[in-house]
Amino acid sequence: MTEDYQLNYTETDIDLTQSLKAPGKGYWILLTFLFLLICAGGYAWGVQIANGIGEAGKNNPVGWAMYIATFVFWVGIAHSGTLISAILFLFRVKWRAAVYRSAEAVTIFGLATAGLFPFIHLGRVWVAHWILPIPNFGGLWPNFRSPLAWDVLAITTYLTASTLFFTLGMMPDVAIVRDKATGWRKKVYGLLAMGWQGSDNQWRHYTAAYVFLAALSTPLVISVHSIVSWDFAMSVIPGWHSTIFAPYFVAGAIHSGLAMVVLLLVPMRKAFKIEKYVTMHHLESLAKFMIFTALIVGFAYSIELFIAWYSGNQFERAIFIYRMTGDYAWAFWLLITTNVAVPMLLWSKKIRTSIPWLVGICISVEIGMWLERFIIIVTSLAHDYLPYAWGIYKPTLVDSFIVIGSFAWFFFLFMVFSKTLPVVSMWEVKEQIEPPMKEQS
Amino acid sequence: MPMPTRTYRFGIFEHLDTCLAVIKQLPGEGFKEIEVYSPTPHHEISHALGRKPSPVRVFTLIGGLTGLITGWAMTIGSTMLYPIIVGGKPIISIPPFGVVAYITTILFGTIATFIGFLVNARMPQIKIVEGYDKRLSSDHYGVLAYCLPEDVVKLEKLLKQLGAEAVARSQGL
Repeated sequence: MTEDYQLNYTETDIDLTQSLKAPGKGYWILLTFLFLLICAGGYAWGVQIANGIGEAGKNNPVGWAMYIATFVFWVGIAHSGTLISAILFLFRVKWRAAVYRSAEAVTIFGLATAGLFPFIHLGRVWVAHWILPIPNFGGLWPNFRSPLAWDVLAITTYLTASTLFFTLGMMPDVAIVRDKATGWRKKVYGLLAMGWQGSDNQWRHYTAAYVFLAALSTPLVISVHSIVSWDFAMSVIPGWHSTIFAPYFVAGAIHSGLAMVVLLLVPMRKAFKIEKYVTMHHLESLAKFMIFTALIVGFAYSIELFIAWYSGNQFERAIFIYRMTGDYAWAFWLLITTNVAVPMLLWSKKIRTSIPWLVGICISVEIGMWLERFIIIVTSLAHDYLPYAWGIYKPTLVDSFIVIGSFAWFFFLFMVFSKTLPVVSMWEVKEQIEPPMKEQS
Repeated sequence: MPMPTRTYRFGIFEHLDTCLAVIKQLPGEGFKEIEVYSPTPHHEISHALGRKPSPVRVFTLIGGLTGLITGWAMTIGSTMLYPIIVGGKPIISIPPFGVVAYITTILFGTIATFIGFLVNARMPQIKIVEGYDKRLSSDHYGVLAYCLPEDVVKLEKLLKQLGAEAVARSQGL
């Protein structure tokens, strides 16, 4: 039993189903605001479809800009979910039980947001099916040697595996809600529970499936963002063509994902009064994890710079000098500060156990991780081999609103989830509580 | 001819230890067909019932292998259909096609695992077992036992004697 929980089964159910009560005024105001931002993003996309991809400020030499940076950012955000739900499950880390449901939701909604960007970036969205692994014309298939084709498969697989894992984990909890609900809610939750009754036969197959899904999802934590990184690393663009990209991207992904989980858990535990389930110990554990990922990310940055110098490759040296001193130098130094320097404050127990500090540091990490992707993508394209082909990219209103809309879309989905499904896994929290025993009572 | 209705009784228990005691005692009294309902999984229940390991793992294995074969077949087959050199690489390029096969292994493996769970757990179910108590998903334990019509009274009495809070009629799953 975890020392943190001094609870019983009945109390757990009562407390953790409070979040499903009718929302207040503040919730609806925030939801409406997010919806309006989504509409603004949708309108901007409409403008881009009507007038062409030039509306996004993309042109030679910078053909990949905000959309791909934001795509990589959201795929990265998605990574903490599987790390917490699958890897920490296999290692039997107890503190995951209280936070993994939210982390899994971050994974699914992060991927649902990231998945929009290839379509937005395509420009001609009506031929989007060309990126699927099906014949395009006359039996001609997509090029399976291209990391872009791997990426489509990897993200699709990640979304499928995460959704199945999320659905499976949710089943016993949805059954609890079904058994407590009345009227149409009972019918809806009944459908979602798929007839779950908690028989030993169901549990036996459930626990087996849970372990296998966790085991199958675990390599995805490493491979999906590695494959995303190969979208860049497999090319010969200076600043991209590097073997460090895969581990560097994976660490960055987990770094930003953990920060997002903290950012969502902090207001949620307060709003739903679940502080005794999502305790300071949980937030502190996530903060400690972030020190680790910040150190890996910082190490990767320094190795990149070292290799650029040590390799003697003048193009590689030039791009890193450009990043540090060129048009986007402010963003480069800001990302180093926000991603690596600021999280070092978490070494102090006083800071990592202070909610305002923790939130501030997590926001700093999110800004830093988005900037990291932006810098990697834009600077390398803006300043490659041929000086006469150099150019710079400037954001436009259209792509800025689409990116803002994507953030609104993510938080909108999360808010809807938080009021419709249990945000903390009740059955797994119960597993850490002593079961009701006659001898004790 | 209609199938004769099977007779079950559903005992609801407040405590895990009482429930375990019931599971151990019922077979000795002649009630060997038992299903137990609990809010969380318990190894003690599975051990007491002598359940075998779940066959879900077979689904996972078959799904994974199917995915592995599909990945290689899709990549090699599609390039053989339209053999065109891309980037100076061989028509059948093992390392990149291996990436695709790796992804499809996981994709098919996860889907097969989920299907394996649904098939073995007999889900989705439209109806819930008769006699199911809504406290079972929350904080109580249930024992569903099959009995011959002439043993109903004996089973009901036994369940109550062993600490059942309630005993409900049931026709089983």
